[in-house]
This record gives sequence, C-alpha cells and structure tokens, in this order.
Amino acid sequence: MRGIFSVLVENRAGVLSKTAGLFARRGYNIDSLAVGETENHEISNMTIVSTGDVKVIDQIEKQLNKKIDVIKVRRLKELQSVCRELLMVKVSYNNTNRKDIMEICMIMDAKIVHVSTKSMIIELNASPEMVESFIKIILPYGIIEMARTGVIALQKDE
Amino acid sequence: MTGADAMVKCLQDQGIKVVFGYPGVAIAPFYNSLYNSDIKSVLVRQEQNGGHAASGYGRVTRKPSVCIATSGPGATNLITGLATAYADSIPMVAITGQVSTKLLGKDVFQEADITGCCEPFVKYSYLVKDVNDIPRIFKEAFYIASTGRQGPVLIDVPIDIQKQEFDYVEPGEISIRGYKPKVKGHIVQIKKVVEAIQKAKKPLICAGGGVILGHAEHVLQEFCEKNGIPVVTTMMGVGSMPKRHPLFFGMVGTNGKPYANRALAQCDLLIIVGARVNDRAVVAPSRLEQNRLIIHIDIDTAEIGKNIGPTIPLVGDAKLIFESLLEYDIQPDYGTWVEDLRVVKKNCVDNRTFHEGFINPCLFVEHLTERMDEDAIYVADVGQNQLWSADNYVMKKGRFLTTGGFGTMGYAIPAAIGAKMAAPDRQVVAVCGDGSFQMSFNELATMLQNDIKVKIIVMKNMYLGLVREYQYNNYNEHYIAVELGDIPNLEKIAQAYDMDYFHVKSMEKMDRMIDEFLACENSALMVCHVYRYDKVKE
Repeated sequence: MRGIFSVLVENRAGVLSKTAGLFARRGYNIDSLAVGETENHEISNMTIVSTGDVKVIDQIEKQLNKKIDVIKVRRLKELQSVCRELLMVKVSYNNTNRKDIMEICMIMDAKIVHVSTKSMIIELNASPEMVESFIKIILPYGIIEMARTGVIALQKDE
Repeated sequence: MTGADAMVKCLQDQGIKVVFGYPGVAIAPFYNSLYNSDIKSVLVRQEQNGGHAASGYGRVTRKPSVCIATSGPGATNLITGLATAYADSIPMVAITGQVSTKLLGKDVFQEADITGCCEPFVKYSYLVKDVNDIPRIFKEAFYIASTGRQGPVLIDVPIDIQKQEFDYVEPGEISIRGYKPKVKGHIVQIKKVVEAIQKAKKPLICAGGGVILGHAEHVLQEFCEKNGIPVVTTMMGVGSMPKRHPLFFGMVGTNGKPYANRALAQCDLLIIVGARVNDRAVVAPSRLEQNRLIIHIDIDTAEIGKNIGPTIPLVGDAKLIFESLLEYDIQPDYGTWVEDLRVVKKNCVDNRTFHEGFINPCLFVEHLTERMDEDAIYVADVGQNQLWSADNYVMKKGRFLTTGGFGTMGYAIPAAIGAKMAAPDRQVVAVCGDGSFQMSFNELATMLQNDIKVKIIVMKNMYLGLVREYQYNNYNEHYIAVELGDIPNLEKIAQAYDMDYFHVKSMEKMDRMIDEFLACENSALMVCHVYRYDKVKE
C-alpha cells in the first residue's frame, strides 16, 4: 500500500538528512520526498510518499514521530486530500507531430512554457496519477529530459 | 565567561561529579575549564571505554553520566560506546570537541562529521554553532537523555565556540515541540489489560530491560505476587526478579532456560514489558502471535508492533503502569498454571558437564553470586561468559549489568569502573572471557591510577568461545580465527597492575578461593579455568 505522510519538522540544518537516513537505515522505500518552508520559517513541511505493507507504513509513522526534530506526523488518506505534483518535460518535435503534442497538452491541461527549433518544454501541474499517464502518452514522441517535484499534499477539511 | 566555562557550569548545574574522557586539542579549552572545577576527570585509556564507563556509572546512579572525547579519531572511537548505550537505552551525554566553525567541512586535521556519523546511534545530537546556545543545549541534552526511552545524546562543540567569551544567561524552561514523552498509560488501554488478565488462564509476564531502567522491579514483584502471575525475563531484564522467587522462571531466548521458553510457548496471555523482542529473546515472534493474546507495554511507541504484533498496546512508563494496574482487583486463579511450570522447572534435567582440572562455569557463577554481597554489582562482558552469567546469576538485591542489546566485547571492565565510582561502598565484580578481557584490559591502568577497587574474573578457555561454539554447531568444527592461546600471562598482567591474583582450577577449592577473592582489600584478578570445549548449550 501507499502511505502519504505530511511531516512538520524543525527547519534546521541536518533534519532532512536525519529523516531521509531513517528511511535508508530501516529499509523503507521513499517514492518521493518534497520539502519546503511553511508560513512559519522555523518549520518545514515534508511530504513523503512510501510503499509497504500495513506494518511497515505503521512503523514509518512511529519512527518519524520518535525523531525529536519531527513536530507532527500526519498520514494522509488519498481520497481525503489534495495531492499535486509538478512535472516539466522536454520533448523533441517536428512538423508532423507538433500538432499532436499540442493537442495532448490541451486535453490534459498541460502548458508549453518554452519552445525552441527542435524541442519544447511542457509543464504539468496535476495529481500524481495524471502526471504518470501524461508521461506515458508523451513518451513515444521522444522525451529528452524531465524533472518532477514529487508529491505535495494537504488534507481536505470536512 | 567562555563557552568552555559555560559547559562546565552546565555540567555542575546537572549535578555531575565525574566525567570519563580522553583529551585532545579540539576539547582542550573545556578541559582547561574543568581544571578549576570540582568535577573529577577520569582519564580512560581509550574513548570507547569512556563511553562504557559512563554507561556503568549511569546505570548505577540511574542518571545521565558524561563522557568526553576530542574531534576526529577521538570522536569516532567513541561511537561504539554510544552505540552500546543506545542499544541498551542508557542515559548519557557525550561531549566531543570539534574543529573551528570556520574550518567545518574543509577536511582539516582531525575533523570528523561526528553528529552525522552518530545519527543512527544517538537519541539526539547537537552541533553547537552559537556560544549563546550552550546553556539551553546542555539543559535539553540532559532532559532528552533521561526522559522517555533513555539514551545517549551527543553535543559536538567546535573549539572556537569553547574559547568564545559571552554573557551567560540562565536557560529557560525546556520546551521542545517535537518531544513530549508519554509516561502515564492510557486509562482505556489499562482497563483492556486488566480485562485480558482476568480472562486469561495462563498469563505470563516477560520483563525486559525497561523494567530495570524504569526502576519498576519492586512494583513488578508486587504485581506478580498480588496476582500470582509467573515472570520470565530477557537478558536485559535479568535482575528484575530475585532468582529464588517462587514466581520467577528464568531467562528466555536462544540461550535461556528451557523452562522459561516452555512457559513462553504455553502461556495464553503474554505480557511483554519494556522489551523490544529481539531475535535472541524470541526467535519466531510470528509463531508467538498465534494462539495467544499479547500485551506489549513499552515507553517507546515505536517498539510496539515493530517485532511482534500485540493485541493490546500500552504505551507508558513500566513503574507507573504497574502502579495503576495494582489498583485493580483481578481476583485471579492461576494456581494450576504456576504449579505446571514448577513441575517443568523441577524436572528440567541439569546436563552440566564436569571436567577434571576445570571449573564448571555455570556452577562457578552460581556460587560466586551466592557469595557476593547482597547489593553487589555484577558486570558481565560478552560471549559465553555473558550467557553463563545471565543464566546462572543469583539475583539478591544487587545489579546485573551487561550489554544485552549491542553485545560489545570489552564492556565489563570499563563499565565496572564506572559502577564502582558511582557506588564506592558496593562490591563490584566484572566477569570477562579471555577474549573480551583483552579488548579493554588497558583500563586496569585507569583502575590503579584512580584507586578503584574492582574484582575481575577471566573465564579462560583460550578460545573466543562463543564463536568457536558457533563454528562447532554450524561449520563442521572448522575452527578459524578463534584460538587465543595461552596468551597473555595473566598473572604477570595482575602484577603489572598491582592486583591480587587468583587462579581457580579445581571445583573442591572453588568456594574457598571465591571467598578469599571477594574478601581481599585490593583489586583482584581471578582466572577461572574453563574446559576448552565447554559450550553454553550442552
């Protein structure tokens, strides 16, 4: 199963490596990790996505909580939270496929943010599933390089 | 004052009387401030042993103790000491010197990223970058080390910070957002536990090191006596029950008593207290999970469900939890269950082997510990000697110290030094094998220099016995890298360090020699001649 953790941590040197080290040391997967300051510059928010069985996901939560620099751990349920990821992908194009690519972008709500004579950079801000399927669709056109931020997530209120 | 003066003041404010350490340039300002203080500095002969000595001291005083090392190799040498304390949950504050803040990360002479290195082995660590933080950091470090699940905390202080002048401001109340240790058990869970015990027919308590760390030995006894529930222990829990107690059924695990393991296998309700259920204590936790209810009481939430899935988790301090459990009337009747266990215990065949001209180690430990003072402290090293000790130690009102968690060879001598300094009036006996003795016998110099009278026993079989036994059982007696030979001459070692020397090789003379050994004023070394091929498991 997939576990999405929203972790508030002290914004101090070394905290990222301590947290990431915990995953490496205990053999937990990190599917993605995104870190940024919160409105309080002393606190950062880490969104960590991991996979494992229920026992492992439970242990991750407890081990994170045990860290003294970790202020709060929340396990987000996918349906009850908004998950987003930013993807940037550089795709090569030619006269024959340019229109197709543009059409895909339009359908999937992706934006072409830079165009050169041979390639274009496309930006997509969407749920992780959408990002995955966009990559699949665009792959045959020739991805030159890509970068993605990893998931960030917030829980919805009732 | 300087940063170094502040460090010393902080230690004094915490009531620290002794520090164990090894100086170097990067920690020199601190030592210079220590020069004018009333804190006693004990120079150990290697940093790792400073950690172990602090561990022994801290276990006896039940308060965080302090060890010191310099930057680079001094600090890396200390890592094993910290890792040992971490695995055994011993409260400790380690202070290391560090290169100047300007030079951090430049790979200069004797620089090591020690807070980075130690991350998996400490409860928390600090790299001090602002001298004004010293009072707060020290106060927090002692608080973190001694509360919740105890453990070592590391403070790394660059030399320029130690030298810097500043205005000392008293630290405020401790407030750490991410650290609020829970000690009182949740009332709902406590009620569930009571109900489960009421319904059980064959309950069993398995006491771990947490019972001793939480100073819950007495309430545990009171609770099991009130309700007639039998008790077994893990290795770290040895000493939580008196050996001859009618409800005590020995140590569990690979090297434990067969009747203790039998009790574990047959109970219908297992109450694990302050134990992390490691692989040596419970070989197949998944098998235990079937067919019985499991209650897991631990101060560390993360221990619950890590190695064994409990039916009822209960987070909190062992002492407080037993105190609340004592408030309930359980009206138990486990008479037949306890009687069954007694029969099993009684019928357990004693298959100790005896060899002419050698001492049976099990009997030796039993007789030795019978003859020791009521409140004596027994420190067991690691190896066969440790297992013989844990299995046969006769608990009265003393302490049994060993590193059951990390299993660090060479622990006993330095830990005994620490223990003796913490309790100079109590008898302290360290038991080593000839392998583990050679890992830390350089500390005999520390003993002599500081007039610390510890009794040391070497169970000599000229082998790394436990590894040899493993090679016997698993590798067709291919004995490789386990033979120690009759080296060194231990009598000469005793002479070199001004110790009285005893050599016991016959069972007839054993008791008399033990008495003489224990009675002698001086520190003493006793060599106990063990048959070369004696095993823990016969």
